[in-house]
Amino acid sequence: MAKEGQSGNPAVAEVEAPVIGPGHTYASVTDKISSIVLTRKTPRAWWIGFTITFLLTMLLLYSIGNLLVRGVGLWGVNVPVGWGFDIINFVWWIGIGHAGTLISAILLLLRQEWRTSINRFAEAMTLFAVANAALYPLMHMGRPWLAYWLLPYPNTMGTWPQPRSPLVWDVFAVSTYALVSFLFWFIGLIPDLATLRDRAKNRFVKIVYGILAMGWRGSAIHWQRYETAYLLLAGLATPLVVSVHTVVSFDFSIGIIPGWHATIFPPYFVAGAIYAGFAMVLTLTIPIRSYYGLEDFITMRHVDNMGKILLATGLIVAYGYMMETFMAWYSGSKYEQYMILNRMQGPYKTLYWALIVCNVVVPQLLWSQRVRRNLIALWIISLVVGVGMWLERFIIVVVSLHRDFLPSAWGMYRPTAWDWSTYIGTLGFFLALLFLFIRFLPMISIFEMRTLVPHPAGKARH
Amino acid sequence: MNGGAVAEFDRFRRRVLAAGAVALAVCAAGAAGNPDQFFRSYLFAYLFWIGIALGCFAIVMLHHLVGGSWGVVIRRLLESGAGTLPVMAVLTLPLLAGLPRLYVWARPEAVAGDELLRHKAPYLNVPFFLGRLAFYFAVWIALAYWLNKWSDEQDRTLRPEVKTRLQWLSGPGLVLYGLTVTFASVDLVMSLEPHWFSTIYGILFMTGEALATIAFVIVALWLLADRKPMSDVLRPTHFHDLGNLMLAFLMLWAYVSFSQFLIIWSGNLPEEIPWYLRRLSGGWGWMAAALLVFHFVVPFVLLLSRYNKQRLRILAAIAGGVLLVRLVDLFWIVMPAFHSGGLAVHWMDVLMPVGIGGLWLAAFTWQLKRRPLLPAEGGY
Amino acid sequence: MESTRLYGLMAEFDNPADLLAAARAAYAEGYRKMDAYSPMPVHGLAEALGVQKNPLPLIVLLGGLVGCLTAFGMLWAIETIIYPLNVGGRPFNSWPAFIPITFETTILFAALAAVLGMLALNGLPQPYHPVFNAPRFALATHNRFFLCIEASDPKFDLVATRRFLENLPSREVVEVAP
Repeated sequence: MAKEGQSGNPAVAEVEAPVIGPGHTYASVTDKISSIVLTRKTPRAWWIGFTITFLLTMLLLYSIGNLLVRGVGLWGVNVPVGWGFDIINFVWWIGIGHAGTLISAILLLLRQEWRTSINRFAEAMTLFAVANAALYPLMHMGRPWLAYWLLPYPNTMGTWPQPRSPLVWDVFAVSTYALVSFLFWFIGLIPDLATLRDRAKNRFVKIVYGILAMGWRGSAIHWQRYETAYLLLAGLATPLVVSVHTVVSFDFSIGIIPGWHATIFPPYFVAGAIYAGFAMVLTLTIPIRSYYGLEDFITMRHVDNMGKILLATGLIVAYGYMMETFMAWYSGSKYEQYMILNRMQGPYKTLYWALIVCNVVVPQLLWSQRVRRNLIALWIISLVVGVGMWLERFIIVVVSLHRDFLPSAWGMYRPTAWDWSTYIGTLGFFLALLFLFIRFLPMISIFEMRTLVPHPAGKARH
Repeated sequence: MNGGAVAEFDRFRRRVLAAGAVALAVCAAGAAGNPDQFFRSYLFAYLFWIGIALGCFAIVMLHHLVGGSWGVVIRRLLESGAGTLPVMAVLTLPLLAGLPRLYVWARPEAVAGDELLRHKAPYLNVPFFLGRLAFYFAVWIALAYWLNKWSDEQDRTLRPEVKTRLQWLSGPGLVLYGLTVTFASVDLVMSLEPHWFSTIYGILFMTGEALATIAFVIVALWLLADRKPMSDVLRPTHFHDLGNLMLAFLMLWAYVSFSQFLIIWSGNLPEEIPWYLRRLSGGWGWMAAALLVFHFVVPFVLLLSRYNKQRLRILAAIAGGVLLVRLVDLFWIVMPAFHSGGLAVHWMDVLMPVGIGGLWLAAFTWQLKRRPLLPAEGGY
Repeated sequence: MESTRLYGLMAEFDNPADLLAAARAAYAEGYRKMDAYSPMPVHGLAEALGVQKNPLPLIVLLGGLVGCLTAFGMLWAIETIIYPLNVGGRPFNSWPAFIPITFETTILFAALAAVLGMLALNGLPQPYHPVFNAPRFALATHNRFFLCIEASDPKFDLVATRRFLENLPSREVVEVAP
C-alpha cells in the first residue's frame, strides 16, 4: 500500500519506458532546458529555418495586403461555393490547436505525468494555430477593420448581432479560446520566466524576463494558489476545447445543406481536431527532439502514447464517415444519398478516396507497436494524417456546397494562386512563430520537469 | 471468498431472483389483457439492464487500455456485469415474440403502404434483424468470455503476458463494441420510429450506458465497502476518481443530447423534428424539463464538490439518483414512439424493470461470488 | 537594535523533504510570519506553514456565475426587447440558440477570475521584494529550497532564531536586508 497507486504491478511498471531519462537532478534539468534559450549558440539550422519561414510570412503579408487592396474576388470563392479555402483552413488550423489544450489540460486532469515534457510546446502550438485560424474569417469579411461589428454593443446603426446564428457563436468561441489558451500558456510560463531571469547573465535579457516573471519568487503560499489556479484553468479549458470545435461544427450542421446537417458533427469534429492536432505535435516534436537532444525528456513512451491517441481519434473519425454514409442511405432522403454518391463518384472523387486512404487506411498501421516506436514511420504517418484532415475539410466544405438542391445552380470550385499563397503563408507564419518560441522561451516546462526528478536518495521521508 | 460472504451473496441472489420472478409473473399475467403494453414495457426495461451489462463490458476494456487504480477496485464488478451478457441473450427471446407489435417495419401490410419503409426494407426486415441480433450477442459474449477467462488466468498465474494479452484484446474489442452497440441501438430503438434518423444516436446510447454503469458500480461498491478485502483497500481517492468519471460521463451525455437537440431544432426539417415535437409536447415536455434538471443540473452541481465525491455514502446517493433518472431518460426516448398523445405510465412500466432487474442482479451476484472481490494483480 | 533593519533570516536547504521538515519544525516552534521558497511546488508545504484556506475556487465559481448570467441576460434582452427579429418563425426567446454563447462566456469569466484572482492574492506583479537581497536566492528558481523567518514575527530573536535555523539540516543561514 505504500506504493503509489498509479502504475499497478511493479513488473508492469518496469516494462513501460520512463517519462524522464535516468540520472537527472534539479540542476541538470534546469540547465539542459534553459541553456537552449540562454547560453547555447543559436544553431545554423535555426537561422536557415527561421529565414525561410520568415520569408513565407512576408508572402502571407503580401497576399493579405493584396486582398485588402483588391478585394475578396482574388480568391476562388463564388456562388455556389461561397466558402472555400478560408473556412477549410480556418477549421484545419483551429483543429490543430486543439491538441495543445488537450495535452495540457485533459492529460493534467487525468494525472498523466508523461504530458509534462510536451505540454508547453503543444500550448505554444495552440496559440500560433489559433492566431492563423482567426486570420481567415477576418480576411473573408473583406473589411477586417470593421471586425468589431461582430461584437454586441449599443451602436448608432441600431442593429445587433444575431445570436441565433452559429457564426456569432463562433466569434465568442474563438476569441474566448484564444484568450484562455494564452492565459493558460502564460501562467504556466511564469515560474520558468523567473528561472530565466535568475539564470540570465546579460542585463537586458534579465530585465525582459524579469518584467515577464512579474516578481515570482517561488513562495509556498504562491505555489499553492498557483497550482489551484492552474488546475482550475485546466478544468475550464477541457470543456472549452470541446465546445470550440463543437461550435465550429455547428457552423455547418445548424444549416440544412446535405453533407453539413448531421447530428454526429459535434463529436466527430472534436475527434477530428484532436486527430489533426496530435499529428501536428508529432510532426513537430520528432525532429526537434532529435535536433536538440531531448530524448531524455521526450522519451519513446511519449511517442508511443501519442501514436495510440492518433489511432483512437482516427477510429472515431472513421466512425463518423461510416455513420454519415449509412444514415444517408437509411434516411431515404435523395439529397443525402446524392451527396454521398457525389463525394464518392463526383468530380472531386480523387480527393475523397485520398482522404479515406490518409485518414482511415494508413493510420491502421498504428495498431503495431513496431510502427508506433519507429520515429520515421510515425513522422510520415503524422504528415499523412495532417493532409488527410485538410482533405476532410475540403470535402465537407466544397463538395457539399458545389452541388446542392438545385442542379441549375451547380458549379465547381477551384482555388486560385492567391488562395494557395495565403495558405502557404500561414504555414510559414506558424513555423516562424514556433522558431521564435524555441529560441526565446523554454520549450519544456522546467518546473514541472523538476517534479519528475526522483528525490535524492536517503533523504526522502514521505 | 470466505463461506460467510458466499452465504450472504447467495441469500441476496435468492431474494432478487424471487422478486424478479414474481414481478415478471405478474407482468406475464397482465400480458394476456394488454400484450402491446407488455412488449413495450419489456423493451424499455430490457434496454436499461442490457445497457449496464454492455457498459460494464466497455469500461473493463477501457480500463485494460488506460489503467489506473480506480478501475482495479471495480474490475470484478465490471467483469461480473459483462459476464451476464449470456443471460441477457436469453432475455432477448421474449422480445422476438412481439416484433410486429413493437416495430412498424415488421408488419408487412404497413411496409407495403409506405414508400420509405419499402426503401429501408433491405435493412429493416425480420430475418436480417434476427441475424444482426445474433451477431451482436455472439461478439459480446465471445469477447466477455475471453476477458473473464484471461482475467482468471491472470489471477492464478500473475504473468505479465496475460495482461498484455488482455490489452491486445481490448483495443479491437472496443472497436467491435462501438460498431455493434451503434447498430444495436439503431435496430432496437431508433427503428421504433422508422422514418426518423440521427447519426449521433449510437454515441448517445454509449454515453448513457456508460453513465448508468458507473452509477451502478458506485452503488455496488458502497454495498460492498465494509466487506473484508474491500475495506482494506478503498480510499477516498478511489471515490473521487469514480465520482469524476461519473461527472465526465454526465457531461458527455448532456453534450451529446444537447448537440442532437440543437441541430435538429435549428434545422427544423420535417423528417427530423417530429421526434422532438412528440417528446416536448404535453406531459413528455415536463418529463424533458425534469430530465434537464435531474439528469444534468442537480447531479452536475453535486459532483463538482470534492467533499461529495470523497465520501462514498454521499456519492452512492448521487449515483442512485442518476440510475433512477437514467431509467426516466430511457422511458422518454422509447415510449413516445407509442404514446404520441401524451405522457402515459402503465403499471407494467414500473414493474418490468424490477422483474428483469431481479434476474439480471441474480446473474450478476452469481458471477461476482465466483471469484475474489479484488484482482490479484494489485495496483489498488 | 540590529533586528529592526532586518527583513528576516533565511536558511537554505538541499531538497524539498528537508524544507518541509524545517517548515513543520518552525511552525511547531511557534513562528508564524515566515515563508518557504522552492523551485517547484512542494506538496504540503503551505499547510505546514499554517495556511488553511484557499479562496480561489470560490472566486472562480463566482466569476463563472457572473459570466453565465451576463451572457444569457444579454442575449435574452437583445432578442426579446432591444432588437427582436423574426428568423424562420423561431421564437424570439430562442433559448437553445443562446446556450453556446452563454457557455463560452461562463468559461471566459471563470478563467479570467482564476488568473486575475491568483495574481491578486499573490500580490503579483511585484517589482521589489526583500528576499531577493539574499545572495544565493537566485537558486530558489534553480535547485535550492529556502525558509525565511521574518523579523516582524513576535517570536523572532536574531540569536535564538539563527540558532534554531542552524540546527536544522540547512546549508547556511543568512540575514536578509529589508
